[in-house]
Amino acid sequence: MPGGGISRRPLHFIILADCSGSMRGDKIQALNFAIADMLPHLANWERDQELAQVMIRAIAFADAPQWHIEVPTPVSSLRWTPLRHVDRGRTNMGSAFELAATALAPGQLERRALRPALLLITDGLPTDPPGRFDAGLEALLALPAGGRALRLAVAIGRDAQSDALTRFIADVTVPVLVADNTEEIADRLVAASIAASRMSEVGVDRAALAQQLLQPAVGEGPELFDRDTIV
Amino acid sequence: MSSSSAGPTSPPPGPWEIALASARGKAHEVRDLDNQDAGRWCADARAIVLAIADGHGHERHFRSGRGADLAVGAACEVALPLGARIADEGDQPAVEALGRYELIPALLASWAAAVEADTASHPFGPAEDGLAGHYGDPPVMAYGSTLLVALVAGRWALLAQIGDGDIMTVDPTGTTRSPLPVDPVLDGVRTTSLCQPDAEAAFRLAVVDLLATPMTVLLLASDGYGNAQVDDIWQPAVGADLLALLRAHGAGWIRRNLPDWVARCASAEGAADDTTVALLLAAAPHGPTAEADTVVAAG
Repeated sequence: MPGGGISRRPLHFIILADCSGSMRGDKIQALNFAIADMLPHLANWERDQELAQVMIRAIAFADAPQWHIEVPTPVSSLRWTPLRHVDRGRTNMGSAFELAATALAPGQLERRALRPALLLITDGLPTDPPGRFDAGLEALLALPAGGRALRLAVAIGRDAQSDALTRFIADVTVPVLVADNTEEIADRLVAASIAASRMSEVGVDRAALAQQLLQPAVGEGPELFDRDTIV
Repeated sequence: MSSSSAGPTSPPPGPWEIALASARGKAHEVRDLDNQDAGRWCADARAIVLAIADGHGHERHFRSGRGADLAVGAACEVALPLGARIADEGDQPAVEALGRYELIPALLASWAAAVEADTASHPFGPAEDGLAGHYGDPPVMAYGSTLLVALVAGRWALLAQIGDGDIMTVDPTGTTRSPLPVDPVLDGVRTTSLCQPDAEAAFRLAVVDLLATPMTVLLLASDGYGNAQVDDIWQPAVGADLLALLRAHGAGWIRRNLPDWVARCASAEGAADDTTVALLLAAAPHGPTAEADTVVAAG
């Protein structure tokens, strides 16, 4: 066969995890459990659908963001290393968005990559210095890959369901997923990961996605590929 | 594009051989959808036309597979009769003008007429009416498709494309070229389309003077092919390999293997998308061809 070989199209999935001081104790444990629980679901989906290769990255953010997983790693081979909270760490989201943006900048993703997915998980409101949240979000959304990424958010606790998360999602038809308690975090992450994996490529029907998120049992049909529409 | 000053004393390129294959994507198989790509070629004594089309998968384009089929039909119907005029033309800007001001408008008119006739003979059912109403679309939107056309006649290759996909040439040294200008609008999610109101302006056009820029292989591919390739810049390796395979085994061997290559790209190993490839292959690629095959002259 001519050329350098073929492979599945990559689906880049970037987790942005709040590791601020308020996440200490049960929350960070639950979050680690939830992410570790979510990954096999993504791996199963990848294996069953045979359509894409899911590549995971993760950013841990508090006062400053840092890569928890910097190199895109196939979900099937990923072993989750637990996140740790930062004592008295703040919830600075803007700089986390900027760090994510570096991974989505032109030339960073394969041309044939599917629509990337970003999953933001937080238990609080952003505490960025003035203007930094907006600047970070703008830096992310201004990128072609950032703007078209499927952006989902899980709020741990009702108080975290903020306007900031709605602005991150930037789509009125996609709700913030709320985990009312630590036990619900895993369910919300699984719902988000399923939605992201199925809906990440082209022609996403946001209304259907919202319905799927709100009613996870509905919408079993795979809607990943070949849903181009016109300019 | 610059005008070529190559004189008419050189013999016209060719003759050519053709290989064409299309495969349903794994994703369509999973969703129980047909192959929404289409491919066709036609030829006469003066010209060859290759055309491929990729129907959009979005639900608002619920007849896009039919739209793709009508598109490649329109391409053959419209482009081939222009072949003799192009073959006799000595001036590159004139060929460009013929492509821009005659071929493309005629393609769009022919496709629109075919869509209208199809809608009349096969009216939308209730579900289709519902979808069109939901999106507020005119009927033509249901048939949305890309179209890639190559008209090769004499010393000229006239290339026209709307939407995503790839057109690539390979010269006798193995150097690959993508003659059409890049369309920055194509972002992997949205595509330009025959069904958009300003489709004529969205067409990209290129003319290759085959005397100035020799061509051994011409490849037209729907985006399923490029999206399956591991390499981001896949054209050089594919082009070099095609040339080597052509010289080693001949066009007939490539024609027989192309369906398997295309099927692999369309499979779960590859992009899982419908994939169509059309190849124009020099019958005498400056090297031995192992097998004799049907040769199409176009000079």
